Amino acid sequence: MNNTFNFSEFSKQSSKGIFVIYISLIYSALKISWIFIFLIFKDFSEISNTKLLYISLGIGIILLFLLIRAILIYKNFQFKITNNHFILKQGILKKSNTSIPFDKIQNINFKQNIIQQIINVYEVCIETAGSTKTEIGIKALPFLKATALKELILSNKVFENSEKEKEAQKPLLKVDILSLFKVSLTENHLQNLFLFFAVLFGFYNQIQQITDGLGKTESLDGFIEENTNNFSASIFLILILIIGFTVIAFLSSFVRVFLLHFNLTTYLKKDAFEINQGLFTKKSIVLKKQKVQNITISTNPLKRLIGVSFITFKQAVSGKLNTKKKDKLIRIVGCKKHQIETIKSSLFHFSKVENSAIHFPDDYYKRRIFMFSFLFLTVLYTGLYFIFSHIEIFYSLLLIIPIAVFLILKKVKKRFYKISEDMLLVGRGLLETHLIYLEIFKVQNIEMKQTIFQKRSKVADIILQTASGKIKIPCIHYKEALKIYNHTLYKVETSTAPWM
Amino acid sequence: MSEEFKNEEVKNLPDIIKVDFKSIDKSYLKVIYINFFLLFIPLLVGLIILHQFSFSNEINEYIIFIYLLFIAFFGLIFTILNLSFPFRKYALREKDITYKAGLLVKKITTVPFSRVQHVEIDEKPISRIFGLSSISVYTAGDSSDDLEIKGIKKETALQIKEFISSKINE
Repeated sequence: MNNTFNFSEFSKQSSKGIFVIYISLIYSALKISWIFIFLIFKDFSEISNTKLLYISLGIGIILLFLLIRAILIYKNFQFKITNNHFILKQGILKKSNTSIPFDKIQNINFKQNIIQQIINVYEVCIETAGSTKTEIGIKALPFLKATALKELILSNKVFENSEKEKEAQKPLLKVDILSLFKVSLTENHLQNLFLFFAVLFGFYNQIQQITDGLGKTESLDGFIEENTNNFSASIFLILILIIGFTVIAFLSSFVRVFLLHFNLTTYLKKDAFEINQGLFTKKSIVLKKQKVQNITISTNPLKRLIGVSFITFKQAVSGKLNTKKKDKLIRIVGCKKHQIETIKSSLFHFSKVENSAIHFPDDYYKRRIFMFSFLFLTVLYTGLYFIFSHIEIFYSLLLIIPIAVFLILKKVKKRFYKISEDMLLVGRGLLETHLIYLEIFKVQNIEMKQTIFQKRSKVADIILQTASGKIKIPCIHYKEALKIYNHTLYKVETSTAPWM
Repeated sequence: MSEEFKNEEVKNLPDIIKVDFKSIDKSYLKVIYINFFLLFIPLLVGLIILHQFSFSNEINEYIIFIYLLFIAFFGLIFTILNLSFPFRKYALREKDITYKAGLLVKKITTVPFSRVQHVEIDEKPISRIFGLSSISVYTAGDSSDDLEIKGIKKETALQIKEFISSKINE
């Protein structure tokens, strides 16, 4: 262990940190106020010289203020290590003092955004399983100091680091640009399209909120109305829209995959995975095997064609953040079959569960989905009829119903579970196929649910709560459900292995 | 950790259904009533005010149906609350705590003590009048799905909390 740095005294970040903090402050200020800046400069030619002077003066003052703030943040940001605790002092006016015991630290990740890459410093993120407040980001540390800090914290935990260097030689998985391109081609484009529109919709809302205040919303609304009228008239426009959407979907998957997973390399170490990826923001993640709560292996028909899948690791997150904290999901794309086998077998003994008997949900499951879809369509079409009052809209049912039936049958077919002594394997999916592997002793709590309709058919739902979200097994026979319930409790209560 | 490793196959697992469940405190039904009327009466008053001052004549033609619908809806909720009350039960075992409830949708949740993060006792104002409190058991899972037992005597809640705390620290 190279401990040339002294962490027992309070120390600051690298002085380059001021710059990094400054840029990030400017960035977040821009993010809040871009719409105002846009409004000011929209009629740029009409701005008189004196006004221009005021504006640039104002901007100058804001920039100066941010610079002073950055320096103060830097000055007041100090950390040290004593007594197996990581201690951090920060805050300009509101001082805070955080102390994290080493064994509560879940991960130490290195990150580099573009600025940090240019001036060659690393951002060190110390993740805990608790809330975001205890998550610590040290914005700028030189590489050597960052590794020294990491090793000091990690080596005080039970893990031996001496072997790490040797094993780090050969990556388990390296995705080059060509295969990354293939991966992006086979992404779930529909989902990316939705993501894209969600972002777009957010922007639109923001613009509308501002223009509302300025009374310009009429022209915008008129524009949209005009377009919708044309829309119903011309099939040509619809065709163009479809083509446009397809292009957007492809492009957005492409951009997303390249931004997140560029230069993806995965190393398999004794008790951890190390994953490096990212184009602008390089991320280096060390994932402890013990902290993995469950893994999901996913593929879709296109990906199966070129023989790749992706693996999603789920780590423990604190309850309230479950849905928001997407980056707690660690995803490795473009895995070949043998690589998946290696990763799986390094985590747990999966052969037993894969060879166990396969159980499908009761027919009730199919009936329930059909019922709900039918109800949903009825409500949707009644609503649509009231809005448009054209009987013609019901023609679209000719197309919708076969698609819906096809999708539902697909969904039902993909639902299954296998259970062995120690592990649970759940299959689910619609177009994609997901296989979820869970070690039973990692369950946090268990719930069984039965509606009166389910009771008549003697089926029940099982919901297994883990530290990284829930896993549902819907509509299985009541006796089976009860067996799983009792077995899970038995496993959890007799296991002495730590769940994280 | 343990020196001797044993792994005998267990033939008969303890069955959750055959556990002796305890009902929650009877007086919690009164709390449910009060909570119900605290919601129902303001809404009814609001509806009457709307009827008298705000509704147009076209709507007021159907006002009797609106009242009937309103009463029927809340009557249904009231009946369900009443009927489902005896199903609210909990059980403590040596290694876990279980709560079950529900008339139309039966739910049973078990939290093993070895996964408990913390235990909380709440006393809501109305429950306090009857000396009742609720106990929540939190795990590292999604907190909305953790276990909460409403309407048990404060002493019982404290005892359960003590019991769980002693089990966690074992």
